[in-house]
Amino acid sequence: MSSFDAPEWLRHSDSYSPGADADRFISKSIRAFLRVLSGLERRPEPKGRTPQPALFLTADFILLLLISLTQSRGFLFLAATIELVIISAQRPAAIAESLKAGAVAAVFTVVIFLPSAFWGAFSDWGSFLRVPFKVFLCAAAAALVPATLDWPRISLGLSSLHIPDIFILVLDLSVKYIYLLGQLALEMLYALRLRSVGRNSGKTATLGAVAGSLFLKSREASVETYEAMECRGFSGSYHSRRHWRPAAMDFAASAFIIGIIAAYIFFRGRS
Amino acid sequence: MIELEDISVSYTGLPALTQISLSIQSGEYLALIGSNGSGKSTLLKLVNGLVFPDSGSWKLDGIEISAARLKDQRFAKSFHKRIGFLFQNSDAQLFCGTVYDEIAFGPRQMGLDDAEVDSRVQDLLALLGIKALEGRAPYHLSGGEKRKVALAAVLALNPDILALDEPMNGLDPRTKRFLREFLLSLRESGKTVICATHDFEYIDGVFEKAAVFSADHRIVRSGPYAGIIADRAFLESQNIV
Repeated sequence: MSSFDAPEWLRHSDSYSPGADADRFISKSIRAFLRVLSGLERRPEPKGRTPQPALFLTADFILLLLISLTQSRGFLFLAATIELVIISAQRPAAIAESLKAGAVAAVFTVVIFLPSAFWGAFSDWGSFLRVPFKVFLCAAAAALVPATLDWPRISLGLSSLHIPDIFILVLDLSVKYIYLLGQLALEMLYALRLRSVGRNSGKTATLGAVAGSLFLKSREASVETYEAMECRGFSGSYHSRRHWRPAAMDFAASAFIIGIIAAYIFFRGRS
Repeated sequence: MIELEDISVSYTGLPALTQISLSIQSGEYLALIGSNGSGKSTLLKLVNGLVFPDSGSWKLDGIEISAARLKDQRFAKSFHKRIGFLFQNSDAQLFCGTVYDEIAFGPRQMGLDDAEVDSRVQDLLALLGIKALEGRAPYHLSGGEKRKVALAAVLALNPDILALDEPMNGLDPRTKRFLREFLLSLRESGKTVICATHDFEYIDGVFEKAAVFSADHRIVRSGPYAGIIADRAFLESQNIV
């Protein structure tokens, strides 16, 4: 056989009929990676629809803090009303993401609290439901940040809030490599699916090999990033961009922050 | 063999292919030519059942291929057996512990006995000149070696159609010449080859047909490869040379 003489089996089509095999784990893993990647790929909201990231994060944090601290039912219902109005003004996907996060956290809390409720730890159903209700509001408010802001804006917001730049750099690099390694993992799963043409008796070993390759790639990427940073004169400090161009939504967010603090003080000590 | 009709594909709302119609006959060698991001790789992914059209339809031997049809595991497996895909990034395609296992992965799944699997692996190691790599880990190979191992792993399934995504990208001239000669020799095996490429210098005489993608993800010209490559003004207007 000369170096390029194709072997006999390659010159003819195989007569092949695949047997049944349960390998839906590949499709499920692909769907899971696609969800993560599309979340990271989210395009930013059009300008003017959200306030400055720093104000957004501050308003969200203050709302979370006050909901957690309050003992007043009146304030809780006021905060819930305002929060639901804000959520309902978002894109349908962001509304769904935010409410889903809140609902999952609330259900989880109810399940955890149920045994103590049966042992009579709560005087009435109202006090029993208060904690899951607060958890719902907090989780929905927290989920509103990633559902509305893309990562560069969150990073910008953290920078404006004087979070240490080195911390933001680590977060930036983490998000970047979650995305890049996620893409590589997705491609590997695609490759696995394309070559899974029959019965695979070693599914766990195959998935382990995919995970191992990803680990090696991530190690290689971390070394390369470190070397690239050294070559560009990285000395341990990192400065990110900060912009401040006030717009209508910024004034609305500022008014919200002042208003919600005022409402908290007003309702303090009342039921 | 392959019929694409008015296919449009988008990713998160951004168009990747726009109203593509294309017909590929059995045994044909088709080059997909276009600037970066014009949709060549997306077309190859579509043909491999990795992405699905927003509108339009495509058929393989008269059978419409859709997400719903590929949910049928038996159909999906025989479909993937018929079409081999060489990824642009070979790292993504190699996941076994040794080169031997990598090439044997497909034939083992097909239920071939050990002797037959070994025969296929040895044939491909010899054909691609990578016999010395047999026991090595794919991860430690050079770019050209990884590409050859990935090609061997794809060929081990003996697909009827080969989809190659920029197979010569990042390879040294000798490996590019090797791949050119290899593709020419494969023609005798009656395979259909669809190849996205930029390396015109190294694929001269390999392809009989070409389809040219524009920056707005449409096929702006298709026909004999030689005629298209000779039209330098047209290629310049499409940002290809």
